[in-house]
Formats: sequence, C-alpha cells, structure tokens
Amino acid sequence: MQLRDYIIRRLIVLPILLLGVSIIVFSLTRIAGSPVGVYLSHEMSAAEVLQIEQRFNLDKPLPVQYFYWLKGVFQGDFGWSGVASAPVADVFPAKFAATMELSITSAIVAVALGLWLGTYAGVRRNKMPDHITRIVAVSAASLPLFWFGILLLIVFWANLGWFPVGRSTNDIWESIAHPTGFYIIDSILAGSLTALLDALWHLVLPSITLGFGGVAIIARMMRSSLIEELQQDYVDAARAKGLPERLVLKRHAKRNALVPTVTVIGLTIAFLMQGAIAAEIIFRWPGLGRWMADAVVRGDQATIMTYVLFTSVLFLLANLVVDIIYAKLDPRVRLGD
Amino acid sequence: MTDASSPLRRPSLPRETALRVRMRRSGELAVKILSNPTTIFGFVIILLMLSMALFAPWLTTPNAPDPYQMPRDWGALRMPPGTPNHPLGTTNTGGDVLYGIIWGSRTSLQLSIIVVSVTVVIGTAIGSIAGMVGGKIDEILMRIVDVFLSIPELIFALAIAAILGPSFTNIILSLCLVFWVKYARIMRAQIILVKQNDYVDAARIMGDSRLNIYFRDILPNAATPVIVQATLDMGAIVLIGATLSFIGLAESGIAEWGVLVSEGQAGIASGRWWASTFPGLMIFLWALAFNLVGDGLRDALDPRTEGR
Repeated sequence: MQLRDYIIRRLIVLPILLLGVSIIVFSLTRIAGSPVGVYLSHEMSAAEVLQIEQRFNLDKPLPVQYFYWLKGVFQGDFGWSGVASAPVADVFPAKFAATMELSITSAIVAVALGLWLGTYAGVRRNKMPDHITRIVAVSAASLPLFWFGILLLIVFWANLGWFPVGRSTNDIWESIAHPTGFYIIDSILAGSLTALLDALWHLVLPSITLGFGGVAIIARMMRSSLIEELQQDYVDAARAKGLPERLVLKRHAKRNALVPTVTVIGLTIAFLMQGAIAAEIIFRWPGLGRWMADAVVRGDQATIMTYVLFTSVLFLLANLVVDIIYAKLDPRVRLGD
Repeated sequence: MTDASSPLRRPSLPRETALRVRMRRSGELAVKILSNPTTIFGFVIILLMLSMALFAPWLTTPNAPDPYQMPRDWGALRMPPGTPNHPLGTTNTGGDVLYGIIWGSRTSLQLSIIVVSVTVVIGTAIGSIAGMVGGKIDEILMRIVDVFLSIPELIFALAIAAILGPSFTNIILSLCLVFWVKYARIMRAQIILVKQNDYVDAARIMGDSRLNIYFRDILPNAATPVIVQATLDMGAIVLIGATLSFIGLAESGIAEWGVLVSEGQAGIASGRWWASTFPGLMIFLWALAFNLVGDGLRDALDPRTEGR
C-alpha cells in the first residue's frame, strides 16, 4: 500500500471511530436517566416539565435524541455545564488553554528527560547506570501521579515554601491582558517579565509531576531501540572509518533510534490527558482536568460527554500523526492492518 | 472430518513422558524467573502484601459492623506517627492510618483480582472467537474493540463510574468494562499466529474437532502474552482504581488507599504529611511489585526481549 493511500484510509476510518465513540458516550449518559434534571426546579408543574422536554427534544425516542445531540455538537453546542453554571462551549476555551499550557511543558520535561535517560542507559548497557535507570523507569511507571504531586507539595510548598500552587498570583495575572489564554504567551505579548516569571514559577511542580510518568515510557523505548541500533553494521562502519564515538552516537545511532521512539509519543499524549486530571486537582490548576473531576463527582453529564469526546479526538489524531510520521521515517513499516 | 468413530485418531502420547517433559520445563522456567533479583524483590513485596491482606483481622481489631470502614477515634484527631495505638498517626477525622493501610490491602486485592479475572475471561473469549471464526464476525468484533481503544482508558473508566454513581463497586464495574479490550486484541493476534503452525494442521487432518484443537493446541500456546499482561495489570488496576477513588468516585471513609491519600491532602498545608504519604507508598509498592514480576515473567517466557 502506498503511503498516500494509507493516510487516506486512516482519514476515512477516523470519523467512523469518532462516531462509535460518540454513540458509546451518548448511551452511557442516557443510562443515568434523562438529562432534563439540569433545567428543572421545584416549583415547576408537570406541564412545564413536558414543555421543557419538548423544547430540548427529550420526549423523542433515544436515536432521535442522539441525532439532535450530535447536530448540536456539530454546531458547537455541547450543552449546559452544571458545575460551571454556563454553556460548556463558553467555558471550554480558557480551561483548554490552561490544560494545554501545562501539558506542553510536561511533554517537554518528559521528552527531554526521557531521551537523555534512555540514551545514557542504552550506551552503558548492563552496567550500573543502566540498572539504576531501569529501576527509575519502573518506579516512575508504578508511581501514582497524584501521590507524587502531593509529596512534591509536602516538601517544596508546605515545608520549604519554594513553589506556589494554582496557576498564577492574582494581582500579576490581572495586571496583563489574556488574548490567548496561554499565560506564558500572554506575558511575553504584554512584555511583562514579572508575569512571565510568575507563569513559569507556577508551572514547575505540576509539570514535573505530570511529565515524570512520561519519562518512563520514553526512556525505556529509547534505551531498547538505541541498543538495537548500536548492534547494526553501519555503526561498526562509522567506527571503522575513525569517527569519534560521540559522533557515531549523535549522527548515526541516536538519530535512527529516535524513529521507534516517536511511536510512544502518542502513548505519552494519552498519558498526559489522563494524568492532567489528578495533577490539576492537586495543584489547583484551573484546567479541563479539574473541571472534569468536579463534573464526575457531581454528575455533570454535558461536561463529561464533551471531555471524553475531546480527549478521544485528540488521542486519535495524535496516533494518526505518529503513525504517518513513523511510516514516513521508516520505509520498512508494512502498511496495512 | 470430525467424526468421532473415524479410524484416524490423535495418537495418544505416552502420558508419563509428556508429564515429565512438562514438569522439567516448568522447573527450568521457575529457575529462570527466580534468577532475576528484581523479580524476587517483586515477589517478596507481593507476598508481604498478600499476608497483610490475609491476616488483617489478626493485625488490627476489625471495625464493627463494617471492617472496610475506617474506625474513628474522636479522642485522637490528627495525631502524628509514633502516637501510642496509632504508630502511623491518624487522619483529620481520627482514622488510624495503619488500619487503613492494612484493610486497604484487602480492598486492593479484591479490586485487582475481580477486574483481572473478569477482563481476562471476557477478553480471551472475544479475542478467541474473532481469531478462530474470522470473517465477518472478526471484522465486527475488532471494529468494536477499535472504538473502545479510541478513548483513553482512565478517562473512559472515569466517565462510566461517574455515570453509574460514586461507589467502590462501580469503580470495579467500570474497570471491567474498559480493560477487557486489551486482552481481546492480544488474544486474537496470538490465535491467528498460532493457527498457522503445522501441528494445528496436523490435528485438523487427524480429524480433531475445532473445539478440541482450540483447547488442546491453540489456547495453551497463545496464552503467554495474556499471562504477562494480566500480571502487569494486577498492578496497573490498583493504580487506576486508586486514581478514581482519589478523584472522588469511592465512598468517603472506606479503607482504601486512594481515598486515604485524598483525605490526607487537606492536612499537608498544616504540616500533617503522614495521612497521604503512607497510603500512597502502598499503592506505589503494589504497582512496583507487579511491574517487576511482570517484566521478569516476560523476559523468562519470551527470550527475544532478554536483556532489553
């Protein structure tokens, strides 16, 4: 199969998968009963309730309701969030920016540290540093993210007072405009160094917490693919022509070892989306994750549906991009099922 | 082909030899598994955890009427570790942290055993049907699996548990609904691989029934990756279950590690570090132990990954 055909096929499958996800999500929320409750109050009569049901098409059969819901989603109407007391679509952008900012800095932590650790261990295979790295990686994969965050808070916030919780210091946040919702970008646009430092200062602990789990996934993959590359003939050839070991590693082995490592980045994105919920609770980060956590505890259906749908879209797109990059980078990849 | 009275029957192997070969192989496998120090370390932690769960009623006085509910000692609120009768301190509401840790091991054991066994059975069944039958049924089942895999598992479980209503039972149920998919996919791939072996063709030519071939020739040879995955999941499920209860999907006041970490959170600003730290450490050790054993098992069962 040609790469182009492969991409086209994947793009056709993508909306079908999303449709499946939306059916699952919709059926799930309807198991809990009619969502009419959000619009009701105690003094309403039966006739009024019926009127409301008719207005939102809740008196129709389920497949018809699904159709109306899906139509709403396509028009940007995701329903009313009980937790935020506002339409989901109105609250979403600001929270999305907060979560994205945190996820991106965490991804930087995860990728930088993961690649470094994986290379470090792979070069020193079966020596002490390798064993230590392996233990660190297994530990990171077993670490409850929410507990790790709390430990950091106990040490660096409660005891040492070095780092704050929350996303910003109130006065500084209010002193600049927020056109993008990304605090770092906003502070650079406003030309305020105080705001930039404030943004970075608040990002340190949550980014380490969220990024650390991703380190394990990336480091292990990098290590094993580097070991495989170092056994290849071209590495011997590079050494034989007298290239210094540092360059053999940098220009040849490491570059090729990155190819399989790209595949786990999709996994890391799912990991970040999931971890963001706990990290945002602990660090009082006003993002999508904490919103979802509140919605989950209080049964806010519209928010739950939107969040699940959104993360699935992101997850599927990330995997698609990763697969395409992988197929492009490594021509040996068999395209097909 | 599958006529039982057919003269072409599977020649019965000399039973004793087969048994001896099998025993020798399991012996070799055990030696191989136990030669890895990190695997032994994992085994030791698991054994300690299991004995803690088993002897819970003798280690602490069970809370009446429900031992899975944290006992409240209103005379000893927020006590630091080292307090008499409360060696690991107490929570904001006077719950003994040590009690929570010990009975929490039972809660975690229940959670992981129920979820792993249910999902392995469902996943193996569905994966086997898809792999054995093939065709349209395979296509339909695998498209369903694809849809399930499109939602990140923690978020999926979170949404299901939220909609079923907050309770520990619903956490178990939601994890069962999410985790079977992985096994179905692994099993299907394995079956398709094993089916291509000559000995399967041989059995078919001999006139064995499809069910017989499946149970005697295919399933035992396809099970390895499922066993490894199940071991890893014994840890992962406690990790995810604790995350769900940390977020607030379990009843408050139960002896469960995630709930304890969550309840301890409120005290850290005032320096009460113990109520979150110890239960969280248990979740970490539990997951770590099963990860180590799962890795060791994979290395021993699949020589290709050795030393990687």
